[in-house]
Amino acid sequence: MSRSKVQFTEDQFIDGLRTGNNEVLSALYKKYYNIVLKFIVNNSGTQEAAQDIYQETIIVLYENVQKPSFELNCQLQTYIFSIAKRLWLKQLKKSSKTFLFKEDGENELVDVSEEITEHLNKEVELDKLNQSLAELGEPCATLIKDFYVQKLSMDEIAEKFGYTNADNAKNQKYKCLQRLKKCFFEILPVEQIERK
Amino acid sequence: MRPIDLFDNYLSGKLSGEEVKAFETQLSSDSVFANAFEQHKILIDTLNKAEKRNAFKNKLKAIHSQAFGNDAKIVSIKEETNTKRYVKSFAYVASVAVIAVLSTVAVLSTGGYLLKQQSNQITNLMREMIDLKASSEAVSGAIVEGITKGKQKTVYAPANLEGSAFALNNKGYIITSSHMVNGADSVFIQNGSLERTLTEVVLINAKLDIAILKVVNKDLAKSWEVPFLFNEKPTDIGEKVYTLGYPRKDMVYGEGSLSSLSGYFNDTSMYQISIPVNPGNSGGPLLNDQGNVIGVIRGKITGAEATGFAVKSNEIFKVISSLPSDSVKEELMSKPKKQTLKGLKRTEQIKRINPYVFNVLVYKKD
Repeated sequence: MSRSKVQFTEDQFIDGLRTGNNEVLSALYKKYYNIVLKFIVNNSGTQEAAQDIYQETIIVLYENVQKPSFELNCQLQTYIFSIAKRLWLKQLKKSSKTFLFKEDGENELVDVSEEITEHLNKEVELDKLNQSLAELGEPCATLIKDFYVQKLSMDEIAEKFGYTNADNAKNQKYKCLQRLKKCFFEILPVEQIERK
Repeated sequence: MRPIDLFDNYLSGKLSGEEVKAFETQLSSDSVFANAFEQHKILIDTLNKAEKRNAFKNKLKAIHSQAFGNDAKIVSIKEETNTKRYVKSFAYVASVAVIAVLSTVAVLSTGGYLLKQQSNQITNLMREMIDLKASSEAVSGAIVEGITKGKQKTVYAPANLEGSAFALNNKGYIITSSHMVNGADSVFIQNGSLERTLTEVVLINAKLDIAILKVVNKDLAKSWEVPFLFNEKPTDIGEKVYTLGYPRKDMVYGEGSLSSLSGYFNDTSMYQISIPVNPGNSGGPLLNDQGNVIGVIRGKITGAEATGFAVKSNEIFKVISSLPSDSVKEELMSKPKKQTLKGLKRTEQIKRINPYVFNVLVYKKD
């Protein structure tokens, strides 16, 4: 911790997030964690919960920053805190536990409804996909990812999975994808998304 | 070219100018084709997003533990986990209770069996479903329905008998014990990767206690890649063996060694094994270290807990090859393409075998 700390401006944070700069991401992560931690621990949450919510918050920030239309109309801290608060409130409402909620005047809030709704919709899709992949099992899941995400060639896949040639690998990939399609498009959403 | 291959080639720019034109013409004129393409794109897109998301999540976790230490355990508290965990643990408790009762019943009924039929001392290991099981299932079903609103859950009537089975080949044929399916009205199979599905009995050999089933909906077996082969010669005493089966709702693993090349009363069609087998294990596969199937679990000796019997796999093929030649025989003779388990760790082997070992549910009319 004694190493000289580089101070970033908010614009530098946002640019760094856009370009995927790890140093910037790390600095940003450290800078705002405590605000979220304090809020969640003060409002019926544990440290683990705070960590999860904070990481989800950073994901929402990260994905919105990628949009060409993104424009920050408030302090970065206000934006982060608003997202974290909304995510935490949603979670508290879902749990059946009664909780004490302390309104705090010390942090400003901005409207992040759109961001939250979009994020939750996307989460449902990604969960569905992850579930489908789990359902699919191995070697199918890895094979599909190797081809469509890692963009390995059929020859490389044949070698990696021990198929005799690229055509066999291709057939296997075909079967796996058919199954994945079936899983993915037939799984019903686990729950309706709360819109507001 | 299959549509999926065409989609892939189009998206990766591997089609020639003319092919692209033809593709795009079809897109604008054939709505079924266009929809399929749309779905394909959505799936591939989601796949990439999910991978990106996972990578980013891992990055954040790494930053966190580097910055704030690992003292905070990584516990995800997604919205639905609380309820899910509850349901799961309830189901678990219920199943433990059921097993406790079942094993008592098994001991009691084997006692009765012994008195009545001293000549037949092999206890068949089917799981007889009793009322308690049914009621606990109904209760947990109700809880699931109560909690996960909007999610459909079909509650099935409890089966009369449950046991194990496993795939014979890639054509949708499955082996189980004949004592399971004798007099059955309908026989279903299911496991973690296959929804409950109807089968038809195509062969019963009471002498060997073997039955072969076939998945009625052929499409379900289309993607089967059975990872094991069947030993066609008897194996050696002392060989390490293991079995997978459904003595309860979740698959259970048991290991031991091959203790004799003959079964009860010197029956040379069977192996004796030192694996404790339980009601429900009947019909499960017996595998060796290389992951080859060497037999089918048949039963155990009454009273001897750590001794089981399995029908030798080569005996099964003798029966199949003695069938009159027709299309069914041809399909039955079809073998899994190749062994993909050799040299893998046991846990890896099991992961691959998993989808091809089934829970059998038998319904009888009376």
